[in-house]
Amino acid sequence: MGVGRVTESNITSGVMSNLQRSLARGQKIQQQLSSGKLISRPSDSPTGTVASMQLRGESRATQQYSRNADDGLGWLGTLDSTLTSTSTLINEARDLAVQGLSSGSSTPGGNAAMADQVDQIKAGIIAYANTQYLNRPVFGGTTTGATAYDDNGTYLGDAGQTMRTVGANAKVRVDTTGPEAFGTGTTQLFQVLTDISANLRSGDSAALGDSLKNLDTASDLMKNAHSSIGARYNRVTQMKQSAQDRLLSVTEQLSDVEDIDLPKTIMDMQLQQTSYQAALAASAKVIQPSLIDFLR
Amino acid sequence: MSSSSFGSINTALTALYAQRRGLDVTGQNIANVNTEGYSRQRVDMQSLTGSISPAMFAKTAGVGAGVGITDVQRMHDEFLEGRARNEHATAAYLTDQSATYKSIEDTFGEPADTALQAQLGDMWNAWNDVANNPQDKATRSTLLEQSATVAGGLNSAHTALAGQWQQNRTQVAAYVTDVNTTADTVAQLNDTIVRATSGGLPVNELEDRRDQAVMHLSELTGATASRRDNGVVDVIVGNSTLVSAFTTRKMELAGAVSMDTLATDPLTLRWADTKTPVAAGGTMGSMMDTMTAVIPHLSAALDAIAGKLITTVNTAHAAGFSADGSTGLNFFGGATAADITVAITDPDQVATSSGPATLDGMVATAMADVGTSTTGPDVDYRAMIGQLGVSAQASNQRGDIQATVTQQVDAARVATSGVNLDEEMTHMLTFQRGFEAASRVLTTVDSMLDQLINRTGLVGN
Repeated sequence: MGVGRVTESNITSGVMSNLQRSLARGQKIQQQLSSGKLISRPSDSPTGTVASMQLRGESRATQQYSRNADDGLGWLGTLDSTLTSTSTLINEARDLAVQGLSSGSSTPGGNAAMADQVDQIKAGIIAYANTQYLNRPVFGGTTTGATAYDDNGTYLGDAGQTMRTVGANAKVRVDTTGPEAFGTGTTQLFQVLTDISANLRSGDSAALGDSLKNLDTASDLMKNAHSSIGARYNRVTQMKQSAQDRLLSVTEQLSDVEDIDLPKTIMDMQLQQTSYQAALAASAKVIQPSLIDFLR
Repeated sequence: MSSSSFGSINTALTALYAQRRGLDVTGQNIANVNTEGYSRQRVDMQSLTGSISPAMFAKTAGVGAGVGITDVQRMHDEFLEGRARNEHATAAYLTDQSATYKSIEDTFGEPADTALQAQLGDMWNAWNDVANNPQDKATRSTLLEQSATVAGGLNSAHTALAGQWQQNRTQVAAYVTDVNTTADTVAQLNDTIVRATSGGLPVNELEDRRDQAVMHLSELTGATASRRDNGVVDVIVGNSTLVSAFTTRKMELAGAVSMDTLATDPLTLRWADTKTPVAAGGTMGSMMDTMTAVIPHLSAALDAIAGKLITTVNTAHAAGFSADGSTGLNFFGGATAADITVAITDPDQVATSSGPATLDGMVATAMADVGTSTTGPDVDYRAMIGQLGVSAQASNQRGDIQATVTQQVDAARVATSGVNLDEEMTHMLTFQRGFEAASRVLTTVDSMLDQLINRTGLVGN
């Protein structure tokens, strides 16, 4: 338009729109300051919004991983302490068997007493094998029943595995089925203990010797199961730790994406207020004088 | 060489008239300094010549016969007015688009710790808890509640979109009436202006009013206008005429009355006579786009997300077994965001395990994994919100730029047609002085005549 005419309404609408723009900027900064968030709607930053939603989702999932790991540690811890106690009992049973073997059939009365003791140990181990965690037998696989073994040492559970998701695509098994810890067939721990008891009573040294070997086999199997549980316990602990670390870093990233830089925003607000006041002062001066003021 | 003694009186009289008229117009301009749409006016003065056809006894002395007003001109640039109509139409379109996106963003309320994304997250976590303790009825009850929250969130998002659609439709229906009435006004003004012009009457104020009406039509429908030689203005929407001289065509809104019937009964803004669609821009064009594209697309995306959620969960759920031994049950009912419900009411019917009489929690674990899957409904939802953000941001930015452009065109328009008080003051002084001077001419001629009549030929009296 080149030089062009300038009219009162030109100035007025120009001033109005400039003030309006300055006010709008002020409102945006006030909103950021009062909410503490850079992004309050998707159009503020589409990519930031998607990142923010993603990170929030990840934070939720990571918290859940941590909870899952806690639950898994409960299972594994229960298994661990149960198997530790069981080992002690097995050692006692082994001592009794060795004692029976060395004394031979010389003292039938003494052997019967030892056999009774072995029976007691067997009942004790069965009680351990039926240990529950949150109302579920920890050696029972995925059974819906309340016990893993009946009083005779027969397995009632199934071969199902219980898994816990402790990280993205990381699932850890948190149980051990009865057969995996206590064996099957002739080397099944309870069967072996029954045999030892019977052999002590009958005084059959040769059979007792075989049973002793079977007991060692069963004991080895349990030790294997025990060490596997220990390893898994470690793994879950590590995964839990890494979930917590991840949660920290996700929270930090989320804050980077979403939260305002407080000093910068306050500075922005100060600048905006200054420029708004300047604009107000200038407008008041610009519109005031007119030729009318200078005519008689 | 002679001239009439009274000729000069007449000359002074024409000057008095002309200056008075100039002052009148200045007064009118000052009176309308704040009137929206007023174009300033200017008197065109022209000196009057004497008789230019010589006859034996009628000859001019070569001096003019005063001044006359040839026209009161309306200071107005038709080209700028046309550009302003275009820019205002675009600005109206973008303003409405921004407002629409803003309220859609409000509908979803992302990103937040309580919006749908968070509700989905809570639901997947609830599945995780069920996977951890499938024997515990409480975890399953919690799951049902969280799932009902998600279903409710999807329902209300759909309802909000449908409600917005409804509001737009009601508004467009009202605008259609507005457009038809305003078009009639333009046609009537065309008629009045043609009559007045042929009667030699000034039509400046009427033209201002007509320009305002046409601008209103431009903002509503993106209409353009073209002026004919006889002073009438034709208004064109798309490629069809809305106002042709003194006649108008009517628009009407036909089709679906709610978003849910849109697929079977398309919504059209059309001409009442030919039933062909109106290619509208401006506010109504934006609203039609909102109703036929923006909201239906979002609603379809939301339905697809709900559909994926329903299918994924139901497929896995139907294959699983629950605490009371039931299997093959659907977890979610419905198929879209509008009708999704939680079909399971009894926590004992939540399928958690891969087989009967087992507590392996495989189904629940698989379900929990959907939440972090890269092909799950959560990812689709985030993509939808991201897309919404991009569209909203784009329309906001375009709106901001357009506002500046419109403001510049308006400034140029006002520079031509706006009233400047300093200028009017100057004119007022000029006309006042002109009037005073013409009066002085009259007084001088009068005193000359007085001299001639009363004091001449009195020698010896």
